[in-house]
Amino acid sequence: MSYIIACYKWVVDEADIRINPDLSIDTKKSKGKISDYDKNAIEAAVQAANILGGKSLGLTFGGPETRLSLKDALSRGPAEGCWISTGEAAKADAAVTAKALAAAIQKISDVSLVFCAEGASDTYARQTAPRIGAILDWPVVTSVSKLDIEGSTLTAVRKLDDCLQTVKVDLPAVVSVLPEINDAPIPGLKAVLAAGKKPVTEIKAEELGIDFSPKTDVTEIKGYLMNRKNIILSEGEAADKVKELAAYLRKEGVL
Amino acid sequence: MAGIYIYSDKKDIVAELINFAKESEKEACVITFKQEDAEAIKDFGAEKIYVLKGSSQVPENYGKAVAELLKKQDADLFAVGATARGRDIAARTAGYLDCGMVSDVSSLSYREGTVISQRMMYGGTVIQSEELKGLCVVTVPAGKFEAAVGGETVEIITIDVEADSRVRLIETAPVLREGTDITAVDTVICVGQGLDKKEDLQLAQGLADVLGAEIGCTRGIAEERKWLPVERYIGISGAVIKPKLYISMGVSGQVQHVVGIRDSKVIVAVDLNEKAPIFRAADYGIVGNMYEIIPLLTEALKNA
Ligand SMILES: Cc1cc2nc3c(=O)[nH]c(=O)nc-3n(C[C@H](O)[C@H](O)[C@H](O)COP(=O)(O)OP(=O)(O)OC[C@H]3O[C@@H](n4cnc5c(N)ncnc54)[C@H](O)[C@@H]3O)c2cc1C
Ligand SMILES: Nc1ncnc2c1ncn2[C@@H]1O[C@H](COP(=O)(O)O)[C@@H](O)[C@H]1O
Repeated sequence: MSYIIACYKWVVDEADIRINPDLSIDTKKSKGKISDYDKNAIEAAVQAANILGGKSLGLTFGGPETRLSLKDALSRGPAEGCWISTGEAAKADAAVTAKALAAAIQKISDVSLVFCAEGASDTYARQTAPRIGAILDWPVVTSVSKLDIEGSTLTAVRKLDDCLQTVKVDLPAVVSVLPEINDAPIPGLKAVLAAGKKPVTEIKAEELGIDFSPKTDVTEIKGYLMNRKNIILSEGEAADKVKELAAYLRKEGVL
Repeated sequence: MAGIYIYSDKKDIVAELINFAKESEKEACVITFKQEDAEAIKDFGAEKIYVLKGSSQVPENYGKAVAELLKKQDADLFAVGATARGRDIAARTAGYLDCGMVSDVSSLSYREGTVISQRMMYGGTVIQSEELKGLCVVTVPAGKFEAAVGGETVEIITIDVEADSRVRLIETAPVLREGTDITAVDTVICVGQGLDKKEDLQLAQGLADVLGAEIGCTRGIAEERKWLPVERYIGISGAVIKPKLYISMGVSGQVQHVVGIRDSKVIVAVDLNEKAPIFRAADYGIVGNMYEIIPLLTEALKNA
């Protein structure tokens, strides 16, 4: 039975990032999470596997902290998990990431469809799906807002800047989906319990024989500080707060 | 021929990237996939214009052909307009070349064989500077460079290439834009998913009428609920606005939205949750129910 793969990334939750006064960033208190839109990629793979009669698999590439992601990912429906583990993930750029994912897809071998999300919450580079396609020399369909599968043909509606485009492609293919493609359900208790029993494969990245040197050289990472007045009216009657706000806005001369 | 190779499905960005090449003291070589697209830009000031001619009507399907051309010509850099099509073809080309790529740069320069770029990470929480050497790829949003002033008409070079024919185009339906440009107005009222139902947009419209404002929204309101057209949503994947006054109602203010309003003069937020991040991004805020606050505010500003 062939595999339908969802690529998902375990990322630092951006809402927890603290910015120090010198603009350096502190991620020590940041929790990990499945990249927001990857939940939709996972759901798309689960649905596609139901239609194609294949097996859905969640595939992730990341450092030791990524181990935590598997149960969460599997509670969202995939039948199996696969983790390409590495100590080098923090340094990986899109070129390295796509090579690792593509090598794992080749190793899994019987794969009919690979889903990525539009973009990851941390990088939002929107590179990975087309790069995987190029490395495997498979057809690629990006920005997909609607999907139909019939036999081994996929019909997709792509949302581009100026049009909606319908395309057809024979599988295997790499597809990147927009979040509006589906509603990613919040897993219930039963799904969470079942997730712990699903099979997980760990592939050591070194076994894949890929070159881990990134092509881009990060020279600086700096936080963005929002400098605003932060006058927040939280106490008292609504009418009084509104009056106060209106007075401020008059003074600002923006009405 | 070495040089900066350029592609965009938006003519304006082509003109801007030609200027970027000139500023970098490199030849500007534009890649197109249709004779008519090449004709349309022939006097923009590029040194060379290529038409890669093949059987597919989908530019993204030419990633491999572009990669081959760049290698053969010993290109310095492939600079692509950051649109949905552009990002796709750029990343496919980078994949075939196994080279570095920086997406959606917020700043870009090219000096002595090195690309120096900045881009946002973590939805805009962080700004990351990167350097790349050797042939690499960048995608560049509109408006990062002045448009080239134009130049002599240049010869168009047509090359027959093979396209990936596996993705077949069935149909194209144009998306009609409404015409209102929320990046060009002084006041924007922004609605978020705190709004219970579509009819309640009336609440925002009432305030907008009083202030002569346009209505904007968050991504979910446009893309998931489809209550407003997509050109009205603000943020890292939508519009970036800099009005004199921005007033949000029921917007939590996650960073991906807030990057789109950072250059506003005055930011006002109304939200039920006093811990909502929008208040940290705001000059003035009211913690309260917008269904109560907005009608009162509309009334109070009527005679402003
Ligand atoms: C890669 C990526 C890109 C993204 N790009 C964008 C983008 O470009 N633009 C964008 O907007 N988002 C974007 N997002 C989504 C973003 O992270 C947030 O999820 C989104 O902005 C939240 O929208 P919201 O504030 O409308 O909804 P919510 O986060 O659900 O907030 C609703 C708010 O309404 C308040 N509320 C509820 N009822 C009331 C009431 N009666 N009165 C007052 N307040 C009320 C709640 O307290 C809450 O704060 C992106 C996300 C990712 C991962
Ligand atoms: N390390 C990773 N592991 C698994 N999937 C990934 C990884 N990085 C990126 N992806 C997938 O590629 C998509 C786009 O990522 P990006 O190109 O970085 O914006 C993500 O939403 C994931 O679906």
